[in-house]
Amino acid sequence: MKKKSIGQFLSESREASLVIVLIILLLVVGIINPSFLSFTNIRQIFLNNTLTFLMALGMLCVMLTAGIDISITSTLAFAGMSIGLLQKYDVLHNTFLLFVIGALIGLFCGFLNGIIIAKGHVAPIICTMGFMYIWRGMAYVISNNNWASGMDVAGFSDFGKDGAPGPYIILIIAYAVFFFMMKWTRFGRRIYAVGSNTEAARVSGINVDRTLTAVYTIMGLLAGLAGVLSVSIYASAQPNMQYGKEMDVIAACVIGGVAMSGGRGSVAGTFLGALIIAIISKALPMVNIPNFWQNLIKGVIILAVVILNVVTQRTIERQNLLRREM
Amino acid sequence: MAGKSGREISAMPEGGLKSKLLSWEGALVLILVGVNILGVSISPNYNITNVLREMPRYLAEIFMMFGMGYILVLGDIDISVGALVCLSGTVTVLSSNAGAPFFAAVLICLLTGLIGGMLNGFIATRFTELPTMIVTLGTQIIFRGIAEVLFETWGNGGGTASMADTKGLMLLAKKIGPFPISFFCVILVGIVMITVLAKTTFGRKLYAIGSNKTAAYYAGIEVEKIRFICYSLLGLLSGLCALFLLTATFGSNTTTGQGFEMEVIAMCVFGGIATTGGKGNLIGGFIAAFIIVCLRIALGQRNINTQLILVIIGLMLIISVLVPSISSALSANKKKKAA
Amino acid sequence: MMLFLGHGPKRHFMIMIMDERRLDVAEDLILELKGITKIFPGVKALDQVHFQLRRGEIHALMGENGAGKSTFIKVITGVHAAEEGEMILEGSQVHFRGPRDAQEAGIAAVYQHPTSYPTLSVTENIFMGHEDVKSGMIQWRGMHARAQKLLDSLDADFKPTDEVGSLTIAQQQMVEIAKALSADAKIIILDEPTAALTANESEKLYEIVEKLRDEGRSIIFISHRFEDMYRLASRVTVFRDSRYIGTYDVDQISNADLIKAMVGREITDMYPKEEIKLGDEIFRVEGMTRTGYFKDVSFDVRAGEIVGLTGLVGAGRTETIESICGITKPDQGKIYLEGKELTVRKPQDAMNAGIILLPEDRQKQGLILSWGLGRNVTLPIQGELSKNGFNDEKKERDIAKERLEEVDTKAVTIFQPASSLSGGNQQKVVVAKALAQSNMKVVIMDEPTKGIDVGAKKEIYEIMGQLAKKGFGIIMISSEMPEIIGMADRIFVMCAGHVSGCLDRSEVTQERILELSMEKSGDRKGGKAS
Repeated sequence: MKKKSIGQFLSESREASLVIVLIILLLVVGIINPSFLSFTNIRQIFLNNTLTFLMALGMLCVMLTAGIDISITSTLAFAGMSIGLLQKYDVLHNTFLLFVIGALIGLFCGFLNGIIIAKGHVAPIICTMGFMYIWRGMAYVISNNNWASGMDVAGFSDFGKDGAPGPYIILIIAYAVFFFMMKWTRFGRRIYAVGSNTEAARVSGINVDRTLTAVYTIMGLLAGLAGVLSVSIYASAQPNMQYGKEMDVIAACVIGGVAMSGGRGSVAGTFLGALIIAIISKALPMVNIPNFWQNLIKGVIILAVVILNVVTQRTIERQNLLRREM
Repeated sequence: MAGKSGREISAMPEGGLKSKLLSWEGALVLILVGVNILGVSISPNYNITNVLREMPRYLAEIFMMFGMGYILVLGDIDISVGALVCLSGTVTVLSSNAGAPFFAAVLICLLTGLIGGMLNGFIATRFTELPTMIVTLGTQIIFRGIAEVLFETWGNGGGTASMADTKGLMLLAKKIGPFPISFFCVILVGIVMITVLAKTTFGRKLYAIGSNKTAAYYAGIEVEKIRFICYSLLGLLSGLCALFLLTATFGSNTTTGQGFEMEVIAMCVFGGIATTGGKGNLIGGFIAAFIIVCLRIALGQRNINTQLILVIIGLMLIISVLVPSISSALSANKKKKAA
Repeated sequence: MMLFLGHGPKRHFMIMIMDERRLDVAEDLILELKGITKIFPGVKALDQVHFQLRRGEIHALMGENGAGKSTFIKVITGVHAAEEGEMILEGSQVHFRGPRDAQEAGIAAVYQHPTSYPTLSVTENIFMGHEDVKSGMIQWRGMHARAQKLLDSLDADFKPTDEVGSLTIAQQQMVEIAKALSADAKIIILDEPTAALTANESEKLYEIVEKLRDEGRSIIFISHRFEDMYRLASRVTVFRDSRYIGTYDVDQISNADLIKAMVGREITDMYPKEEIKLGDEIFRVEGMTRTGYFKDVSFDVRAGEIVGLTGLVGAGRTETIESICGITKPDQGKIYLEGKELTVRKPQDAMNAGIILLPEDRQKQGLILSWGLGRNVTLPIQGELSKNGFNDEKKERDIAKERLEEVDTKAVTIFQPASSLSGGNQQKVVVAKALAQSNMKVVIMDEPTKGIDVGAKKEIYEIMGQLAKKGFGIIMISSEMPEIIGMADRIFVMCAGHVSGCLDRSEVTQERILELSMEKSGDRKGGKAS
């Protein structure tokens, strides 16, 4: 057995290197400001980023098939606005039913994406860009530019208020389901197969079109759920909610080691990627760096991670060639 | 010298007026006419004077559309330009407020855009393994991040800054007859960019790279150099966009330019440029841009929910990319029936 | 006048006959193919080909490049549907509609460069499509154990959990073999498996293949190496020019007879080689080295001379000339053009100096298939066509027309897309593209006749002869021995990244080339160290 160099190990196991980054991050922040590691603080980190955590799971599936979905926050806004309005006009106040309706709206939006990408052979970025406009516009149109305020969603917002267990339970269930699905079910592995080598997948009898449609439908479902959660957590529904945040979700996946070329990425990596983004935004003010540095630092980290990955890959290839020579 | 068989190969250019009219650009012209008829019929105030008066605030984006067209023809993508507009605008406002004369502020604006574009180009050409989507996702966050830092450290905070001395900007916002200066600039830049892409050897090289990067490289085309130039150019045009945006807003804030990148890409795609590279031309994008602008103005005047425009843009986008695959499916069906 | 249409021939679909009638045959045949014909646009890739495979034998399939072996394999594995002929598997006629049918019938193929799922584990690659699932859960533990057992039986030195993309080519082939075993394939096809392997890796593969045979599986082994055939096969079938030549017992046919069967045709007719008085040295490379690809390669070309560069696939020929032309960066080496040292950092440097490359893969490297012929021809001379930066379209059309007619391209207009032409005519467009560069001094042709029909080949040879007459230096890379012997004045043979010898036209024989291109096992081990 050949021994692996440290660089090789780290580049092969993205999760391992992310855990190291995370530990260093936590240590540094924890030493400067011990209150960062308090239970309340950690709880809030998750609560503030529930939507990113949740949608990153769907984005993982989409990116595994070498696709991308930039319509998610629009789907989120449309689903969220819909259930906000249902409450505003006193049509429905049942929390469970509202969740079901929001999820179904998202499911439908995602299905449209999937069917157009799989059957119409439209580039994912273009198709989802179209729906990014459509659902965001629909959110404005159905609400007629109005908000559903805290008063309107009063009872419902208890589900997601600080301290309530709801969002955490959803996150835990979602991650458990996805962890199981991506690793232990045939469906999960088909997603990997389609992204790793579409032609080979087709030859092995995998229905590529159906897999693609399913992936975008799942993404839509999660975006719809995130929309409902967003209304609950922020106790309001606005047509412009979470505008532009799809990039955070994609960034979480990229940091977590999900390859844009498809076939590579894991639920654990996605979780760690989202966690690192979440921690950076929460930690900066606590270590006396003003919050306005947040985006700059986040951007630098994203670029650094992907560039570092390329550099290690090149080094390994170079070493392999040298070995071949000897 | 002909070959031994003496066979002749025709070199007569094909196509005439008919094929031009049947092309996608022809369809776009019809849509543009349709949109204007719609505007006139739904709003009594929809006339040339009013349209031109409202136009400047929408025109700025069109500058970037030309640069984005080049990038898409190359088969790349750049989603950082909206943030770059924000950064350029912010730097301009802050340096002007710090006492820079107007022409210096203009230079700084363009230079900031150029440097931002060069940074994109540098990373994209140095690390060719990375999808340009990821590279520009990173720089997108960085550009806006720098702007946010500048508001707080250099400006007065609050994530926003207004230009104190607006004399220069007022000059740029002036009109010649009924036409705003920016209108002429867009037309001028448009003619140059369209011509370069369609008629020059440089433009030809862009199509070669977008169609088959490997073959272009083997044919001696400096692929990475050209990609770098195009990213820099798009950066410069983002600076120009920021400048003309300032003539309408006189200030900058953290959300300036948000979503511009997608609108600009949408204009290109709607205009017939494929994101896979090597296809389409800027004339289509140019017409598409004006369709969107006119539609906006028309809906705005009628006081219809202005955000309905988003739904319409989205629908146009999806229908326009679905047309080729639907028509090919239909013709395949026809063949099947015939056989 | 429509001389050529881009449409493929109408496909005749065989009617599936599912009669279970057993044939009484003297020998125990597991697979028989009769009268297989496969036509691609413009080329008959297989012409009435026969093949018989006995149960439990290793059967070598040999022939030159382009003889139709790969197409034949694709017919067996269901990738291509043959226009004519029948296929009998274990006594009953079968018709595969796709690769999956062939897999289910127990036929598996292992290619030189396996096409698998690079980002997934070995276990997943082996079991993709038929995973072990119990109550909805994939049984990883059981699958890893089964994979480990398969790997153990192949004596593999990697783990089931390893990512396939990180394995060597030899290891990836082993994964494919394990995959074939997991599906309990009765017939395993190995398509040039040793071409990219070292001597040790090849030896290991031999042992595995013998073991598979001893288990009662039937094996079709395609190789260019006689070494492989003598070591493994009991019978050998030879194809030539898309036709079936014969099947021989390996221990009853001499090497010379076999080569004759493979090469066969009269060489003098095919190759219009003219005696040209050679000029001075025009081009020379010294000590070209790129770590891991080729080492210390030197050769020279005289004006009017055709220099052949040959060797087995993977010997480093293409890699060497790509470094010469600035496509990739060499670690060391000097290039002299007309006696002056030339610095080549990028492709334009070589082109500007007059070194023109006709790349190996014309569809990916040589042409932009979606473009018209004219634009393809003028792609490398954009600088010349530029009038203050603008494209001189009149001049462009004139040059394109002239050059395309010069090489006698079968085309209607210069605007038709390159994808509408046959392989041979596409190659002529690539030649026209080179000719358009008026400063040409040295032409490097990488496999100029690969995959094109005999008629077009001859035309390409004629063009080469004309170029030589005009005093250009020509370097021709080819794996096809007859053409390199027929056309080249001198032949440099490459082997495992270095030049193993230079043969003059007067002394060259196929045997000498084969000898030089196939190193002995000892050479490989020893040669690397030096």
